[in-house]
Amino acid sequence: MTASRLLRHETILGVLTVIALIVLASLSDKFFTAENLLNQGRLMSEVGLVALAMTFVIVTGGIDLSVGSILGLTAILLGVFWKNLGLPLPAAMVLALACGTFAGWVNGLIITRFRVPPLIATLATLALYRGLAEGISEARSVRGYPEWFFFFGQGEVLGVPFQLWVLGLATIVAAVILGLTPFGRATYAIGANETAARFSGIRVDAVKLWIYTGAGFCSALAAVIFVSRVTTTRSDMGTGLELDVITGVVLGGTSIFGGRGTIIGTVLGLILIQALKNGLALSGVKGDGTIVVIGLVLIGAILAGALFDRNRGG
Amino acid sequence: MGARAMQGERAGDATAEDRAALPIELRAVSKSCAGIKVGNTVSFDMRPGEVHALMGENGAGKSTLIKIMAGLHQPDEGQILINGEPVRFSSPRDAHAAGIATVHQELLLFPELTVAENIYLGQTPKTPLGAIDWPAMRRGARALLQSLDSGDLDIDQKVTTLSVGNRQRIEIARALAQDARVLIMDEPTAALAEHDVQRLMSIVRTLCQRGVAIVYVSHRMPEIFALADRVTVLRDGQHVATRPVCDVDEPTLVSMMVGRSIDRLYPAKQGQDGETVLELRNVSQRSVVRDISFSLRRGEILGLAGLVGSGRTETALTIFGITPATAGDILINGRPVKIGSPEAARDLGIAYVPEDRGHQGLIRAQSIAENIALANLKRLTRGVIVDMTRVMAEAKQAIARFGIRARGPDQLVRQLSGGNQQKVVLGKWLATNPRILIMDEPTRGIDVGAKAEIHLLMRKLAGEGMAILMISSELPEVLGMSDRVLVMNGGRIVGEFDKVEASAEAVGTVMTRSYSKDDAA
Repeated sequence: MTASRLLRHETILGVLTVIALIVLASLSDKFFTAENLLNQGRLMSEVGLVALAMTFVIVTGGIDLSVGSILGLTAILLGVFWKNLGLPLPAAMVLALACGTFAGWVNGLIITRFRVPPLIATLATLALYRGLAEGISEARSVRGYPEWFFFFGQGEVLGVPFQLWVLGLATIVAAVILGLTPFGRATYAIGANETAARFSGIRVDAVKLWIYTGAGFCSALAAVIFVSRVTTTRSDMGTGLELDVITGVVLGGTSIFGGRGTIIGTVLGLILIQALKNGLALSGVKGDGTIVVIGLVLIGAILAGALFDRNRGG
Repeated sequence: MGARAMQGERAGDATAEDRAALPIELRAVSKSCAGIKVGNTVSFDMRPGEVHALMGENGAGKSTLIKIMAGLHQPDEGQILINGEPVRFSSPRDAHAAGIATVHQELLLFPELTVAENIYLGQTPKTPLGAIDWPAMRRGARALLQSLDSGDLDIDQKVTTLSVGNRQRIEIARALAQDARVLIMDEPTAALAEHDVQRLMSIVRTLCQRGVAIVYVSHRMPEIFALADRVTVLRDGQHVATRPVCDVDEPTLVSMMVGRSIDRLYPAKQGQDGETVLELRNVSQRSVVRDISFSLRRGEILGLAGLVGSGRTETALTIFGITPATAGDILINGRPVKIGSPEAARDLGIAYVPEDRGHQGLIRAQSIAENIALANLKRLTRGVIVDMTRVMAEAKQAIARFGIRARGPDQLVRQLSGGNQQKVVLGKWLATNPRILIMDEPTRGIDVGAKAEIHLLMRKLAGEGMAILMISSELPEVLGMSDRVLVMNGGRIVGEFDKVEASAEAVGTVMTRSYSKDDAA
């Protein structure tokens, strides 16, 4: 309804992304090839899936720091269910997904029922879930998954990596939910003014519970794809994932105070980060330099957005 | 009242010398805000030691004028003169330096700092070594409060523990600490209890005697006539007139503000009361709402009077499901219901227009259309998608029906005036087709014209069969609007009056009487 206002940041970001792609393509002839781009898409799928859910979380004015730990815990549980408990692998996958989703639901419960601020609640579960993952795995990794399982992380459909299809589908679903449904309207309302949302008959706690549960599910889905891609399970998987995810979401124009943000923005933010990481590496910039550039781009994009906002008197 | 006598002599044509002595003068100032021209060639001046009332409906341009004087806005045209010299304020800091201070409607204090720290924030006395000179600061703070007859305030107390009235006195002290010569007070009494209002008025008089000029923005007529020397009225961004207060009376001011005369403030009842739609039987909520029983009929406006904290709003919140009842029965159309959440209340046909518009009623950062859709999302959804065409259509309909002054459904609610914001809240709730409408302080902070419109609307709704429960701290409003008045005190209903019996004395006595535990039991 206020597309022009909401898309302002996205426009800047879109232009920035195109510029980055052109510059990076001119720096290295290996960058702008179908093979490289599809491979980069494969690499950003896990962060991407979690970032879609994180967009909802941040739009409500919350944060979920435990997504990386949920990914680690789910990965470990997948290995343990299959190898140690001897479950069939499909059953182990479903069960692991359920456990990751449950972990997200627990976050939501702590936040809505006991009124613990999301930052504190998920900081605690960040440690808790990671601790569980390490305790269960006893520092052993699980290998030797059957060949068919690698399809999720390494396979292709019509020449496009499988997980990119998943990410694409998830993006459309997330964009529709956030942008067009009553649930999405409620999400924005909660972030902008939770009390007024409650006083308008919005089921605030239920919406939040769904969102944190969704973040758990997306992290678990990312875990399965991750394990399939790297063929092993280790307990330190997903460490620091939350920061990559939050960077993407915030770069995408979602306000950390809630009430503002779009899925399109998040996707653009993710593409820009991934392009910079890969393109700079290909043109010979060292890893440290890449991080510095990403930090600068983040600050620049936020400043540009703020400046643009002020000029419009918004 | 030496200051007043001096002004009397000066009331005639101002000479060049007089102009040089004016602490601030605005000449033909105008300013466009978000596309709407707000201040349109307004001229305004302040004389030392006078109280100059600034009046007008919400949206008339008062806030813009104040912001121009406080350096928050820069005028598009016109001049600001300080002591006859043209100046340009590029920030509030410049205005401070020129001796202009503002006491805002929302008090801008730091709750975790002490009274003394708040008064001297940004202008802390320093020792020669550059550290904070605490003894000097505390002495200064004490002296300032003493001069405001507020020596009873503990300067070492944290502000968070203080009442609104006390916080306001601290803001005034802060302005004095800046050596303000012009003090702008934006609706200073809007949130004050009666005895605090009296105290504020005496402080204002003290300040005038010291030569501070006060811009006094208020909707309350008695204060204007008690305090002001001159009054300037704005309407639709236009400067209507500036007159000495002794030359005008209340009806004149009202008609100047609204541009027409308002003959009847409270519209007459239409139609007959119908069957009972809402009944409470011995309803309690913890210890704040105790053993409440009453019934509300179709077409009736039931007034709920009482002091702040008497349990009126708490009763409303219980009916609306924010704080569900812990004992007793609520019946709707004779059937017992359980109301455990606002959505349950809404689905039962109950609407609640809350007392705190900005916090509970609206999402200020969102548009009119988004706000109106918020309570009606289920109805406005086709399949799983919110039907934006219908959302916009409903918003346009509400804008037309309630006469909301806005550019369109896309305008952000925070850009609207108080009266128009209240109409958006009403629009949101009436779109849910409620049978029971609870209105908590329906006209708080709203100007005369919009107030009359809302009263008329309430009557019309009641005439169409709506059952209305109205909570108000303004006794004239309770007495003027209600068909029946319930009085609450200490969480209980302590009195019931019908329209004929309800007089200010009778209701006021029951409201303020203190009940001992034995009486209450």
